[in-house]
Amino acid sequence: MSMPADRRVTRAAVAPDVPAFDVHGLEPPVREALGELLLTMADDEFVLGFWDSEWTGIAPMLEEDVAFSSLAQDEIGHARVLYEMLAQLTGGDADEIAFGRPADRYRHCRLLDHPRTDWAFSVARRWLYDNADAVRLSALASSSFQPLAQLVAKLRREEVYHLMHMDIWLRRLADGGDEPRARLEAALAQLLPDALTPFAALDGEPALLEAGILTAPMSELADRHLERSSAVLAGLGIRIAGATPGRGSGRDRERASDAFQWLWSEFTMVIRSEEEAVW
Amino acid sequence: MPDAAGAPPVEGRTDDAGRVGEGAQPDIWEVFRQEKDGDPMRHAGNVRAPDAELATHYARELYSRRQESVRLWVVPRTAIRDLSDPDLLQPPLDRSFKKPGGYVMRDKLDAARRRVAGEGGE
Repeated sequence: MSMPADRRVTRAAVAPDVPAFDVHGLEPPVREALGELLLTMADDEFVLGFWDSEWTGIAPMLEEDVAFSSLAQDEIGHARVLYEMLAQLTGGDADEIAFGRPADRYRHCRLLDHPRTDWAFSVARRWLYDNADAVRLSALASSSFQPLAQLVAKLRREEVYHLMHMDIWLRRLADGGDEPRARLEAALAQLLPDALTPFAALDGEPALLEAGILTAPMSELADRHLERSSAVLAGLGIRIAGATPGRGSGRDRERASDAFQWLWSEFTMVIRSEEEAVW
Repeated sequence: MPDAAGAPPVEGRTDDAGRVGEGAQPDIWEVFRQEKDGDPMRHAGNVRAPDAELATHYARELYSRRQESVRLWVVPRTAIRDLSDPDLLQPPLDRSFKKPGGYVMRDKLDAARRRVAGEGGE
């Protein structure tokens, strides 16, 4: 599927968030590693955005419906700028990267392979993800790759609100009586093995660390995330017995999970219906 | 959006109108927004939320998620004093003598403008 040139012009006009940069200033191995980092981050945001948008129209109350949908849109927006930066790096097209791959080529972490499930599950997952994302972004805020550092500074300003909102919901469910708490604990128990998968080691990680693009190894970020989120959960008296966060590869899979295969068919439905269409 | 008719009665808040003040449902919050710096705060609408924190988030989502406000005020509806008594606001007797319509200002204004213009020209 090829994108007409005039469409790219339109996109550039509405997307000033990605600063222009000189691709040739980066050594090829670093360029490749940076591409992997951007793709994994963008896929995470993209997939979470689509999962959470599944609540539009059916969230527990009207106001939360608007709020949660808005959060989901924010993540799609974050995915957009990350895909655009990647497209600039590789000379590709952001829409093509976002929508043009088969389901088994997405690199989102396994935490995002689960379906929407119930409200407590979506809250628990987003809380875990947003906190992981905050740790990841903090390690990129002082990245040696200036265009990324600048972009991350903007993303973090939006993520502050996401963290606040999900923290409120985590606490409400934890203190909301027997059923909400039981559902929350069940969700956390199911998600905990995948809680650290946003920090799965990258092939290009050594190159990123050496170039100062990533300022700390993923394993260290995982420790930071685990320490912080465990402290919050312990403060709420939540102890998940028997579930330990896995440390294995969290982004590689033999084939797409059934849940993600379904989500992929949803979010590519329109583009697959008329592949040469101009939007 | 809130609907007074569907809400269960709340102890101590028995006003059937249920719109504002003591009669208000405790989970309704009125939202005021400022469109740009220097503008007055204008009523935007309302949200339903169980506490002030969520009310603030919902106000943000409903009245500023497209960057249409620079400031929001979120006020519990119970804090609003309602005044709608017709005896106070719409008294039955003729009050036209309190309106300025009986005075023709045009000629006086014109004269004043001429005078000022004349002073400026000297």
